[in-house]
Amino acid sequence: MLPWLLRRVAAGIAIVFAVVTLTFAAVHLAPGEPFQPADGRPVNRAATERLRHVFGTDRPLPEQYVRYLAALARGELGESFSKRRPVAAMIGNALPNTVLLAATALLIDFALGIAIGVFQAARVRRRSDVALTNITLFFYSLPTFWLGLVLLLVFGQWLHWFPVGGITDPVVYDSLSFAGKLLDRLRHLALPALTLGLVGAGGTARFQRGALLEALGQDYVRTARAKGVAESRVLVRHALRDALLPVISLLGLALPFLLTGAVLVETVFSWPGLGKLAADAISARDYPVVLGTTLLVCAAVVVGSLLADLVTAAADPRIRLSA
Amino acid sequence: MTIASWLLLLATVAWTTTVVAWSRGVARRARRDAGRRFFRHPTAAAGLAVLILLATLALCAPLVAPILPSTQINITELQNHPPSWQHPFGTDLYSRDVWSRLVYGARVSLGVGTLGMLVAVSLGGMVGAAAGYFRGWADGVLMRLVDVGLSVPRIFLVLAAIAVWDRLGVGPLILLLGLTGWFATSRLVRAEVLTLRERPFTDAARSLGAGPWRVIARHVLPNAAAPLVVSAALGIGNMLLLEAGLSFLGVGIQPPAPSWGNMIADGRDLLTSAPWTSLFPGAAIALVVMALNAVADALRDALDPRHGTGR
Amino acid sequence: MTTQPRFPHAATALLLAVLAAASCTRRGGCTGEYCGTLVIAGTSDVTTLLPPVSDAAIDRDVFDQILLRLADLAPGGSTIGDAGFVPQLANRWEWTDPLTLVFHLDPRARWHDGPSVTAADVAFTFAAYTDTAVNSPDRNTLGHIASVSALDSLTAVFHFRDRYPEMFYDAVFHMRILPAHVLGSVPPATWQTAEFGRAPVGDGPFRFVRWTPGQTLELAADSTFFLGRPHLRRLIWRFASDLNTAITQVAAGEADAVEVLITPTNIKRAQDAGHLTLYPYSGSTYTFLRFNLRANGDSAHPHTIFADPDVRRALVLATDRPRMLQSVFAGHAKIPPGPMPQLWAWLWVPQLTVPPFDTAQASRLLSGRGWRDTNGDGVRDRNGKKLSFHLSVPSTSAVRQQYAQLLQEQLKAVGVEVLIDQMETATQQERLHSGAFDTALESWNTDPSPTSSVPGNWGRGGGSNFGHYASATFDRQIAVATSATSPDSVTAAWIAAFGTLAQDAPGIMLFSVDMIAAVDSRVAGVRIRPDSWWALLWTWRIPPDKLNERDRVGG
Repeated sequence: MLPWLLRRVAAGIAIVFAVVTLTFAAVHLAPGEPFQPADGRPVNRAATERLRHVFGTDRPLPEQYVRYLAALARGELGESFSKRRPVAAMIGNALPNTVLLAATALLIDFALGIAIGVFQAARVRRRSDVALTNITLFFYSLPTFWLGLVLLLVFGQWLHWFPVGGITDPVVYDSLSFAGKLLDRLRHLALPALTLGLVGAGGTARFQRGALLEALGQDYVRTARAKGVAESRVLVRHALRDALLPVISLLGLALPFLLTGAVLVETVFSWPGLGKLAADAISARDYPVVLGTTLLVCAAVVVGSLLADLVTAAADPRIRLSA
Repeated sequence: MTIASWLLLLATVAWTTTVVAWSRGVARRARRDAGRRFFRHPTAAAGLAVLILLATLALCAPLVAPILPSTQINITELQNHPPSWQHPFGTDLYSRDVWSRLVYGARVSLGVGTLGMLVAVSLGGMVGAAAGYFRGWADGVLMRLVDVGLSVPRIFLVLAAIAVWDRLGVGPLILLLGLTGWFATSRLVRAEVLTLRERPFTDAARSLGAGPWRVIARHVLPNAAAPLVVSAALGIGNMLLLEAGLSFLGVGIQPPAPSWGNMIADGRDLLTSAPWTSLFPGAAIALVVMALNAVADALRDALDPRHGTGR
Repeated sequence: MTTQPRFPHAATALLLAVLAAASCTRRGGCTGEYCGTLVIAGTSDVTTLLPPVSDAAIDRDVFDQILLRLADLAPGGSTIGDAGFVPQLANRWEWTDPLTLVFHLDPRARWHDGPSVTAADVAFTFAAYTDTAVNSPDRNTLGHIASVSALDSLTAVFHFRDRYPEMFYDAVFHMRILPAHVLGSVPPATWQTAEFGRAPVGDGPFRFVRWTPGQTLELAADSTFFLGRPHLRRLIWRFASDLNTAITQVAAGEADAVEVLITPTNIKRAQDAGHLTLYPYSGSTYTFLRFNLRANGDSAHPHTIFADPDVRRALVLATDRPRMLQSVFAGHAKIPPGPMPQLWAWLWVPQLTVPPFDTAQASRLLSGRGWRDTNGDGVRDRNGKKLSFHLSVPSTSAVRQQYAQLLQEQLKAVGVEVLIDQMETATQQERLHSGAFDTALESWNTDPSPTSSVPGNWGRGGGSNFGHYASATFDRQIAVATSATSPDSVTAAWIAAFGTLAQDAPGIMLFSVDMIAAVDSRVAGVRIRPDSWWALLWTWRIPPDKLNERDRVGG
């Protein structure tokens, strides 16, 4: 187990390092001058020289690469062009919001998806199964930002059940009780998490249904049925355990999906997370921010897939023994 | 919409139904049962019909949508006009015909999706085949590259590229989408090739003196076609959604060229006053992706009977 | 038999109780005259709150409440002479000779962190605004002032270089007095990113509380403000990503005020919301398309297309501005005869005419200058170069984006190709400053007098003359306008100057919006000053019987 773990961690570090090198190459090979002065005033020769010196773009390329790596190790990701603040601070503020959104969406995704998948497998080929197949297909195919806009329109603007954006109420939040604060946050979180969760649940349900049906076709299930075990017990106690494993591997794939969806959904709901940070930065051509978020997201995905592998290994003895 | 274009639209629908019914008939009578397995899926026929219809509409766009998509018909009188006989899907903020923009937008969205997928599948297929066939250090290096590619969510890769390279035309956009989308395909193809290279027919080809690339191209890849085709169908859907998202953010297809994504962005502020401007493009995207997923499901079953999901 | 787990009744009851408790907010809280909480829906985020390095309207909206001027413009006041001004930091002033102005500071004025406001602060402020290291956009407006010195702690002396009608205006309007004891130790070259810009210390009716970038900014009333305690207890800005989101918030009751509605759809939404009152006021903004007369990114060479005045005039003639205005604003805007807002109503005279929409004349002009479509692709060309250019538009302005697409289509009809570049406001600013653009849609929010913006925008060497327009005639006319002694000769000189601009067409003047603000009906005493809409916020009040949940919170 341990050598496998070490190998996976080493691979993860190598991947992050590769992405770091690629972003550095991208910045310096791109047309135009990297790290133009953040100051929008008429070009002040002295100021440009000073900034060149600070960012080190007047040094030879290999030295710049080393200084770049050193800066990253220190946690410095440069300064945003448009907001004049350190990128690391901006990411630090945005990250918890995205984590919250992604975690909640993941919860909705898997809870709903697994439940629907199991339900469908139990009633395979019946009308409810067919209807749900089409419904899950529909939700799985929806563009996340479009679903977000529709939900915002219906539940935010028309019905006023949920607020139209933001993360907390800017006025009363501080004076609410703990329960009140929680409720306020939940109300703001509901629509964006639901948007991501519903689309993801569509995919998870389809996958779970397939995995469970395949497990139900296995010999050990036939044996259990022949022995007279009740159908529901067969489903839950025997087949589901087998079918949950591939779904857990879906967790590894879910993270990139959620982060991709976050960029669009956070924009629609003005949710101040990493996705909105990247989307705003792209229109400002603020590439220190875009590159910083890309690096962080890459690191997050590497860590996430490592965790998913660990969970799968813990749950599936076959992997543990062979590693 | 003139009477002629209404008639042509009806003709296209009729043509699509005929084609689907005909292919169903062919499948039923054919010797191999792949076609029958395909049509056994309830949504396969519908999915195929949707795709053929939209592809035909996209190709014959000038015939079914006589008004050009960028024409601002009457900016003071016909803005945000609800659907009518002349303008079946209404007009948008700039008094442009939404139906025209939808049909011409199909060209852009489907075109970018398909071409991007072709780039991705070709690249992924070649890399996967090479990695699986040659093994050794080439396999190691290529698969590590694939790991890197799969680690960063695509949209961030694309955004990072756009941030650094400023303006992106349609061609570079397709290339970018293709270059960021081949990783999963290569894994798939590699897995297939790994099993296939041990088969007798490969050995036979090699012993007859065929060079490695010939073996890959003539013997291995055709047998690995099944997962490749399925992944291609799904790939178009993903490309479409990604392009729509990018256009929605304002960094994909630039106006006035219509794309389903930038149509939704244009109509975003008008959801209450003119919902048709963003409702129809959104529904179109959902419909096409649904159809592609349904067809991919049916294809998976048809091309590879080992993949049964229902007993 | 499998047993279904039953959801414990106790847990359900607990959950319901928690939810019930959470939905009840405390009764009571603040009551009385000084309780109002105003939430303003901002249309973009604040950049910096340090006045000398800021040029964004939203920044000004906020530091209007925190930092004071020596004297402020009364609503409707003239900028010529000193009759149109009311005391702020200075409670009286006098001219000891034609070139010397002496201000006496109000001894009650204090900084929020304790010390009194002194004349040393005034002298420090002048030094900062004119410092090249700080590089303030207002630096050139203070060129007529030779020096500012502190005679004693409450007396500041301004020495001018020459006499002209707006001496008092220049002395008081452009500078907000800064605390020397806080900023004195900060090196001027770092003021762009200084901490003060994120947490200012002021002397105004409101104190800075906190700023969450991209989300909210909060100010609290200074109950000891020497000119009178503000009736509003808290001011909160909510930053929306664009105007439509801001109006959605106001219509939904999540914000109380927004300064402009602009489009007919938004006006209707505000009217339909039911709890909003609409306040029209004279518009202080105007929007135009600026041509870059020098090559894109290379100011040493002329632009291949726009250096030619006939081409520019042709493009002006090819745009159907009244129809675009009708399409976008449905009548709630006007086409200015020059780069001027409705605020300068005294300059909207019949002599300055708006060129008509005439595509035939436009085509003739373009063909006459050698731009013909030789290869049949629908775009004119000359010597192998297409008549095609980029138009930069900020992504935060839906109206300008709309205009961009309308312009693109209209110019296509005369064989001109326009490529639209959408970008964030800051990026557009950067490109303008560095000359890396062909054309740009710019929106300016002006001062009450043309003297602060027009020479800078169109005069030779002006700090905002991004298109490098240069006309000796125009410069002469500006010089006359800024130095003439009587109001009539000032007006005549300005009209002559704008006439020259109309002739030379360094830009296409598009619209000046009728400003309508929407404020929650419970707010009383709403007064809006056209040049700086939230300047009089501290005089607004919410009557005790109209206080709502938000007003009472945190009492």
